[in-house]
Amino acid sequence: MNNLHIQKSAKNGLVFAVIIIFLALIGFTVTAASMIQKVFGVEVSVGTMPKYSALIAFLAFIGLWNGWRAAKQTEEHPLQAGHAILAGLASGFVTGLFALGYSLIVGTLQSNGVNVRVYLSSLSPESIIYFLFGQSPLSGGFIQLSLSTVSAAFGALLVIFWDRSQHQFLIWKQKLSAWGNASWPAKLRRNVFVGYIAMGVVLLLLVILPRTWGSYWNYVMGTVGIYVLLGIGLNIIVGYSGQLVLGYVAFFAIGAYSFALVTAPEPHNLNWNFWIAILVAVVASAISGVLIGLPILRLRGDYLAIVTLGFGEIIRILIKSDLLKEITLGPRGIRNIAGPTLFGKSFSSDSDFMYLIILAVLLSIFLARRWQESRIGRAWLAISQDETVAQATGVDTYKYKLLALAIGAAFAGLGGAIFASRNQFTGPEDHVLMVSINVLCLVIVGGMGSIPGVILGAFALKGLPEILRELESYRLLVFGALLVLMMIVRPEGLWPATRPKYEENSPPPVTVEGGSR
Amino acid sequence: MMAEEHHKRPVKMPQLNIKIIRLIAAFVVLVLLILRIHNVALESQLGASTWLRLSVSGLIIGGMYALIAIGYTLVYGILFMINFAHGEVMMIGSFGGYFVFEAFNAIPVTLHDGTQISFLNAQPVIAILLAFLIGMGIAALTGYFLEKIAYRPLRGAPRLVPLISAIGASIFLQNAGQLLFGPQRRQYINPVIIDRGLGWQIPIAGTKVLLTYSGIFSLVLSATLMVALYLLVQRTKLGRAMRAVAQDKRTAALMGINVDKIISQTFVISGALAGSAGVMWGIHNGLTNYFVGFLPGIKAFTAAVLGGIGNIPGAMIGGLFLGIVESIGPAALGIDFQLQDVIAFSILILVLILRPSGILGEALTEEKV
Repeated sequence: MNNLHIQKSAKNGLVFAVIIIFLALIGFTVTAASMIQKVFGVEVSVGTMPKYSALIAFLAFIGLWNGWRAAKQTEEHPLQAGHAILAGLASGFVTGLFALGYSLIVGTLQSNGVNVRVYLSSLSPESIIYFLFGQSPLSGGFIQLSLSTVSAAFGALLVIFWDRSQHQFLIWKQKLSAWGNASWPAKLRRNVFVGYIAMGVVLLLLVILPRTWGSYWNYVMGTVGIYVLLGIGLNIIVGYSGQLVLGYVAFFAIGAYSFALVTAPEPHNLNWNFWIAILVAVVASAISGVLIGLPILRLRGDYLAIVTLGFGEIIRILIKSDLLKEITLGPRGIRNIAGPTLFGKSFSSDSDFMYLIILAVLLSIFLARRWQESRIGRAWLAISQDETVAQATGVDTYKYKLLALAIGAAFAGLGGAIFASRNQFTGPEDHVLMVSINVLCLVIVGGMGSIPGVILGAFALKGLPEILRELESYRLLVFGALLVLMMIVRPEGLWPATRPKYEENSPPPVTVEGGSR
Repeated sequence: MMAEEHHKRPVKMPQLNIKIIRLIAAFVVLVLLILRIHNVALESQLGASTWLRLSVSGLIIGGMYALIAIGYTLVYGILFMINFAHGEVMMIGSFGGYFVFEAFNAIPVTLHDGTQISFLNAQPVIAILLAFLIGMGIAALTGYFLEKIAYRPLRGAPRLVPLISAIGASIFLQNAGQLLFGPQRRQYINPVIIDRGLGWQIPIAGTKVLLTYSGIFSLVLSATLMVALYLLVQRTKLGRAMRAVAQDKRTAALMGINVDKIISQTFVISGALAGSAGVMWGIHNGLTNYFVGFLPGIKAFTAAVLGGIGNIPGAMIGGLFLGIVESIGPAALGIDFQLQDVIAFSILILVLILRPSGILGEALTEEKV
């Protein structure tokens, strides 16, 4: 244990001090404590703070993590117990000191009658008292300090325990993988029929579930489904042909609006049939894709991204503006958009929409796969790998890029039309930049170029936040942090694409470090 | 040479056509624009004073765009990535200045004649200096940690990966801002010497044009900062190292430059510039909230592209140009002021289509684009 170790531990403690103070400032400590309390089955009554034990549990968890990281940083083989605990203690103490300082500042301000909330809107007086365990600033701070130090020491103990028993864990792991290879799971995986049966089960579930779920789940899953549709469309552009498009929402908006304009009673009173209107939306989006693509597809990389972003914003602003008010009704949006009808019968309950979305998703998956495996798909692959080489080998890159954009736009148009029809409303606020970013993120989080990845990504990015309503205002914060973390830990995505094999016994694909600098 | 030409010909042919089409398109667009401006602007009732007022306010906003755009350009020049979270760095700087002004406004000072005024107006120079120092400092720190946490682990990854990470960081910072400071708009308190409402009245063509103190202050300060940055990049050792890293990372490392450190410092500098723009934005527009960095961020990127990305004087010119065009554009074209943002984005698209290298940019090689 030398000076360097102490320095490292102090640095680690500083990082955790920033984390704890940040969490306290945004009021997350209270939310986390009440979530912990709920997990243990005790409801938090409205307007009161959760129990102090829940706060202790939360802070102790962070302390354990703190100690764990500090002890790991010593990087000794074999680990010396004394050093690890000392590192944990030092790190926890530094964190605790900062927590003490924070408690003193905020607590004194509060007791002097300063309303901190005017400036830091998440810091209610109750939450400050809660953070101080109901004590005076000084004693509350000292509780924080001791809690942090002790829990970090325990975190270091955990590392020691892990280090001593790692050998045992390895043996278990080997046993598990040996069992997995030898026995029935592996055999099942290799059997072709199992794939069909699994597909059948999924299809059966897709038929049964919308009837039994109730409207909330239909709504959530419908949103996920629409995003799967958008994701598959964008995947064709970004994943297959390798063109980064940040203004995908433009096509979504064009689909939604062209659908709305021909079906809604206001402003044009056209009242077209649902299915014709869907077709109109898809065609309109595809044409707009071609029109937008014609001038800009010569650009590459970030330039293309920023130009498409500009197009997305232009279309939203135009829809909102007074200039097109007679056509689009401006910021008010279009209401009373028709739902689907079949043989003159209305067909627009929650579960019906769910079926419609499932059908659209299945169709788009089918189409996307067919295209990917065709000559067009190979051209896209060539373009995404190296555009100059693709051009040199005779691929008409411009044409194929345009085609990818048109197809992707058509999918977005379909998604937009269904979205507008389901909500019976569409307005400029449905078509903000965030939609494009969400879709792009789900494609990349899922794994670029991979359809299962897109589905997984849609569930992860649109489904989970809907389910984690607990986190309410922290949803987007967590989302942003997760995106960064995901890119660091697993940049290839949750379910990366596997390239189709064109030749038996072909040499293993050369990994290309795309654009690495 | 001859053989090369021969090989290239089949591929190069369509490129030529595109160039001609581009030229024709540019010509048509220009003619249409001039006709439109001629019809609307020259026959409108707006006097010279209005045009001057619009262009001065455009110049002021343009100075801020330029400061933010320099940050984009510096980072892009070195890492070839769009630092999507740059607008959020500006927002954080803006809040730094806001809190300094608020704190000073809360301290009462008694003058010799017994009147009580706030410290803010008793010592305005100190207040302004501190506001900028803290705003720039916090923004620089944010930039530093942004690079360290979100971008450094991704060095050498495919280009989409840092972009997504930047988007994630942007979402994180924006929502952190909302959670910390609340969704409401906050009024910026200015010291009286740089008031938003007061200023010099300059008589032009019979009417008087108001040049606000805050506007003049912002313009002068942004010009000073731009000159300082230019000198820093051109004259100092750090600047030379930055240029070397932008030129070729590996060779720079071989020459004994600590590339990671230079990249960190680049983020610190660009963060500080964005922070100063944020404080200026607050002083000039009087408002700040968590969303304040979003549009200036995107527009400043537009400005950086406009001037030729990676090119520092280009970013400055692009920013000023964008500010002015955005300000006088709606009046000159006779369209609604709502469509101000459309003008900015249309310029971006037109420039990228017609001259992808920007105003000052050198012809970009294909790998760079």
